[in-house]
Amino acid sequence: MTETNHVPGMKENIAIWVGLLCIVGIETLLATMHLSTHRLLAALLVLAFIEAGIALLYFMHLKYEKPNLFWSLVPAVIFVLFMMNHIWPDAYRVASMRLPIQ
Amino acid sequence: MSESELTIDAGHAAALDPSPYGVQSKKLTMWLFIISDAVTFGAILFGYGYLRAGSANWPTPFEFSSSIVNGLIMTFVLLTSSLTMLGAVAAAKQGNKPACLKWMGATVLLGIIFAALHLREWFHMFAEGWSLSKNPLGGTVQFGAIFFSITGLHLMHVISGIIALVVIAIGYNTDWLDAGHVETTGLYWHFVDLVWMFVFPLLYLMNVAR
Repeated sequence: MTETNHVPGMKENIAIWVGLLCIVGIETLLATMHLSTHRLLAALLVLAFIEAGIALLYFMHLKYEKPNLFWSLVPAVIFVLFMMNHIWPDAYRVASMRLPIQ
Repeated sequence: MSESELTIDAGHAAALDPSPYGVQSKKLTMWLFIISDAVTFGAILFGYGYLRAGSANWPTPFEFSSSIVNGLIMTFVLLTSSLTMLGAVAAAKQGNKPACLKWMGATVLLGIIFAALHLREWFHMFAEGWSLSKNPLGGTVQFGAIFFSITGLHLMHVISGIIALVVIAIGYNTDWLDAGHVETTGLYWHFVDLVWMFVFPLLYLMNVAR
């Protein structure tokens, strides 16, 4: 991250756009490869996060903003999502506490 | 002069601290909205993930030849609309109003195409018997509720974005709004695209018929 206001030109943007389309192509290819659900989920999530990172940094110009903005926003979102991942499994416990359906 | 008036006089802009982020307040507000919306989508996608993992008979209804190809076209359209939005922002920053309006028009058009493709798919699924509480394939009925809720929320964001883009374009054309407004709307539009980068693989590709 730099504090300059330089943003990518249209040629760089098109290159990023092509790169994102390639990632979507890889995701689709993986979906047709009969991987196990867990492996497919892991692969798709990794690729989706790479895509999102590229979009955030280059399309939304977060790379070219002051680092303060990045450090104020992104860790907070990651923390909240991380905590959700820890709290959501509790739903299984609640489900198992239900009375059996007669 | 009252005490409050003295306070106002003393609080002129030059005496204020500079923004620690170096961005306009409207842009910072949009970023705050975006992170809160990201958490909203994160919550419902986590909910979907745990529901799917907890269901033994989760349906995988999407055939490659129709639904996935349609999803790929929608992804292409939305990604391309982000590119045209970047063109609009760049033109607005250069003060090139006609070019900015053309790029914004292209973005709106692509957004409408995306929404139309999405609605066409929905109606196709309704015709097959899918609804919020019905699953024509058998197995858990929650697929319809999850699918239509998540894609519906995203579609609502797309439609809101289209309306916002039209309003901003009109305002920018009449000098009521400036390049900063175009950039801020662009941020929102890219975020809508970013969300789709998770919705497409998790909701469509994870549910390809095997």
